[in-house]
Amino acid sequence: MTEAITTAISDVLQGQVLLVILLSAIYGIFVGSIPGLTATMAVALMVPLTFFLGDVEAVAAIVTTVTCSIFAGDIPATLVRIPGTPASAAYATDAYALTGKNQHEKALTVCLVFSVIGGLFGTLVLACAAPQLAKIATQFTSYEYFWLYLLGLTCAAIVSDDSRLKGAFALLIGLLLSTVGLGTDYSAPRLTFGLDELITGVNFIPAMIGLFGISEVLRNTLYLPAENALPNNQNEGNSASTPESSSSTTSLSALIRQILPYSWQRRFHLLRSSAIGSLVGMLPGAGADIAAWVSYAVSKRFSKNPEEFGKGSLEGIGDATGANNAALGSAWIPALVFGIPGDSVTAIAIGVLLTKNITPGPNIFDPTDKPEQAALVFSIYVTFILANLILIPLGLLAIRAGSVLVRIPRRILLPLIVIFCIVGSYAMNGSYLDVSVMLVMGLLGFVLESFKIPLGPVVLGIILGGQVEHKFIQCITKSTEAGEFLNSPISIILAIAIAILWCAPTLTSIARRKSNSSG
Amino acid sequence: MFPNVTINAMNLCFPQQRPLSSSLIITICLAFSAFLGCQSESKYPNRPITLVCPWAAGGGTDRVSRQMAAHLEQELAVPVNVINATGGKGVTGHNRGMTAAPDGYTVTMITLELNTMHWSGLTNLTYNDCIPLYTVNEDYAALYVRTDAKWNTLQALEKEIRANPGQLKASGTASGGAWHLGIVGWLISSDMNAEDITWISSTGAGPSLQELISGGLDMVCCSLPEARTLLDSGQIRALGLMAPKRAFGFDDVKTFQEQGTAWTLGAWRGVAVPKETPAEVVDILSQAVGRIVEGKTTLTSESQSTTFPQFMEAQKFDPTFRTGDDLKQFLSSTDAKFQALLTSEAMQSVNTDRFSPMIFPNILLGLMGCVLVGITISSLSQRHTSDQLVPTTKQKIPRRGLMNFGIIVGATLTYLLFVETVGFVLLSMAITLVMLCWLGTRLSISLTITIFFVPLVYQIFANVLRVPLPHGWWGW
Repeated sequence: MTEAITTAISDVLQGQVLLVILLSAIYGIFVGSIPGLTATMAVALMVPLTFFLGDVEAVAAIVTTVTCSIFAGDIPATLVRIPGTPASAAYATDAYALTGKNQHEKALTVCLVFSVIGGLFGTLVLACAAPQLAKIATQFTSYEYFWLYLLGLTCAAIVSDDSRLKGAFALLIGLLLSTVGLGTDYSAPRLTFGLDELITGVNFIPAMIGLFGISEVLRNTLYLPAENALPNNQNEGNSASTPESSSSTTSLSALIRQILPYSWQRRFHLLRSSAIGSLVGMLPGAGADIAAWVSYAVSKRFSKNPEEFGKGSLEGIGDATGANNAALGSAWIPALVFGIPGDSVTAIAIGVLLTKNITPGPNIFDPTDKPEQAALVFSIYVTFILANLILIPLGLLAIRAGSVLVRIPRRILLPLIVIFCIVGSYAMNGSYLDVSVMLVMGLLGFVLESFKIPLGPVVLGIILGGQVEHKFIQCITKSTEAGEFLNSPISIILAIAIAILWCAPTLTSIARRKSNSSG
Repeated sequence: MFPNVTINAMNLCFPQQRPLSSSLIITICLAFSAFLGCQSESKYPNRPITLVCPWAAGGGTDRVSRQMAAHLEQELAVPVNVINATGGKGVTGHNRGMTAAPDGYTVTMITLELNTMHWSGLTNLTYNDCIPLYTVNEDYAALYVRTDAKWNTLQALEKEIRANPGQLKASGTASGGAWHLGIVGWLISSDMNAEDITWISSTGAGPSLQELISGGLDMVCCSLPEARTLLDSGQIRALGLMAPKRAFGFDDVKTFQEQGTAWTLGAWRGVAVPKETPAEVVDILSQAVGRIVEGKTTLTSESQSTTFPQFMEAQKFDPTFRTGDDLKQFLSSTDAKFQALLTSEAMQSVNTDRFSPMIFPNILLGLMGCVLVGITISSLSQRHTSDQLVPTTKQKIPRRGLMNFGIIVGATLTYLLFVETVGFVLLSMAITLVMLCWLGTRLSISLTITIFFVPLVYQIFANVLRVPLPHGWWGW
């Protein structure tokens, strides 16, 4: 155990890894602070590069990028009221209201400090809860795993959008895509439409780059001229006020001195919001954005001044921003223990681990079995801590540079992202089919988004589909009757939970309609 | 076609653009030469070579491929990049390697699957579709049980199988994989039935060994290096090795032959080029590989220098190599062995899956139909309040936006169609420039960005990450 920890620390504290962390932090802040480019996209575009890095470097790059970009999403939310990442949406209105009062640097520093503390809390939860959960998970047979996968997919479909049916539809698309080619259990290819290259199946990396990268670019370009006119006006208003205000505000160190006592004063709220964030993050499928909304709502419910919420409440901002960063760490818990990702970023991370021959599962925590895997898990914790620490200086710089970052024109960035998408999808296997897959997935993602169908479940389906099918086939091969699917208490509990999740909203809405019509 | 598009786009965007100054052009040329350097045409090899590895990064074949690539790079004095063309149980990578242009710039790390996959109907490729240069490694299958199992010898295990056919469970790889064939071949050659041991399909040796220790399996068949850690820690015991002689580094593991069963099954790895590669190119490559496997080349890194055989020994791979007639005979005899095994009736019955491959996709399609019906019903019932199924067109899509959309998709398609002929750098520059101009960036700024961005991407991917980006008209 201690051996694994020391290996992990010495693994991470190497020049090359630290350099990767620094570069990913800068990259994460850059992408996160550009409106319209999400944290998921930042990670998706980076995956082809991680393929060429060592295990520790790859994990460090993902962890750092997402930590930094989730904070950086607050910058445009505060300055121009466009959340840089969906996770900042919950409190964009409040933060922007503070900009109107010329307090944007204070608001952003609160975001930074609370993000870092929330992030560290999430890491602590990850380090403590995951190995405990793994002990339980070792008793799981393929039946329990089958139900657990189903539960994870259910959560992802339900949580990600207002309509459960659309979530389910997206999920089924992803699962169906995952069945292309040879399955784990078959020696005959299917659904390849005669293309030999498709025997391998739809490669998830180009699919994901297409879904999150190209589709995002396409959506952005569609309204480019119209949006150019809009934020420009806002920016002009802003740029007029920003230089003068930054000259009038105190130095950064003074700001920190001002914020730290405030954080101490709100320590219990911070603890509460971090705990909420960690809990939400742990649920498969729910991620940082939902954590922020829930924490914001709780904060408003228990606040002494709820009337301030929505008009520039520093309390609301602090609580929500702490929660979304706390969710990042705990999202790795289901990902590492069961191989079921907590959010779309950890979904991508699982894919990366799999390409590196590391299979997430309860055994990954056992230092006696595979020492290098256990060390890798510990290095995830270490990287989270380092990423949060490095975020402090870089975040302060980003706050200062914020108004410039936000104004980098999208018309320049979008073509460059297209090139990255093309090269990135080609790099992994050197295959033109992958580039085509990327383009097709981009168009698919664009169409789905315009029908308000969420994209997260599609990627989840592609990544988990193979596992779900493998477990399903294992189960039906083993069992002689259908009842064996429910022959353990855990299976029954999981099955009931799935049934409740799918039916509950319908039942409540029917009940509400009945009471409405009767009353 | 590109210059036209570019000019049209530029005229549309900026009719009053200044002409390019000659100094800017000179800067462009300087930037180019600085970024890319010059390459002169000469005899083979004069540009990067791609080594196709049909298996995933981090696995055994990948490690051997990367070591081989590093040595070849030193021998041939050009970059040798490894590509993992994975999946399809090896079909993808072998297919890629053998259908590549026969110019010596694509070399493949071929594996045992070349002998098996055409007999199981996955592909038409055989070892006759390539020119094998060398096999560089042979690892034989071994049979393991838990240390606390009651069978100490192969004979004891055989007795148990004959007494209770079909009761014992084994794994090691996917159904029909090399290690599965090892078990089936052993059973058949010892006059037992292929179904006397139940094979549980798994994703690889690692998970199978795990399952063996936790008691879910009775035996595992895989190579010795794969099981090394558990053998060393004493948790499992090797009952026998399916090899003609004892394995290097595992002297205490008896062979099947020593225990009275004449069955061998080995996985091998080798180096091959496409069939119509010119003889002088084959010679150059073959000599280089020969020097490498004989240990005449050393790779110096940081503090130590290693030869290829030394690396193989350190990784516990058996460094046996074959070439020439020996290799030809080895491949044809192995192929005949697998023909007998894979086309036998016993194997046919094993290969028939209890559930058709389409069962899971069909369930999904059924569910999808249900969900679509559900969405339609709910949208119909909500039509009077809110219409969610129709795209939200609150903001009317401007025509310009549609054209932007077309340009982006068109740029990607153009890349796909022409990159192989034009080359990565030229084509990427062209499409970047067109996209930048079209989206409304001034020409001079677009040019500057293009000139710095594309070579930078090329540098990162082609030189730092070693991705063989397509070479075109000018060699890059």
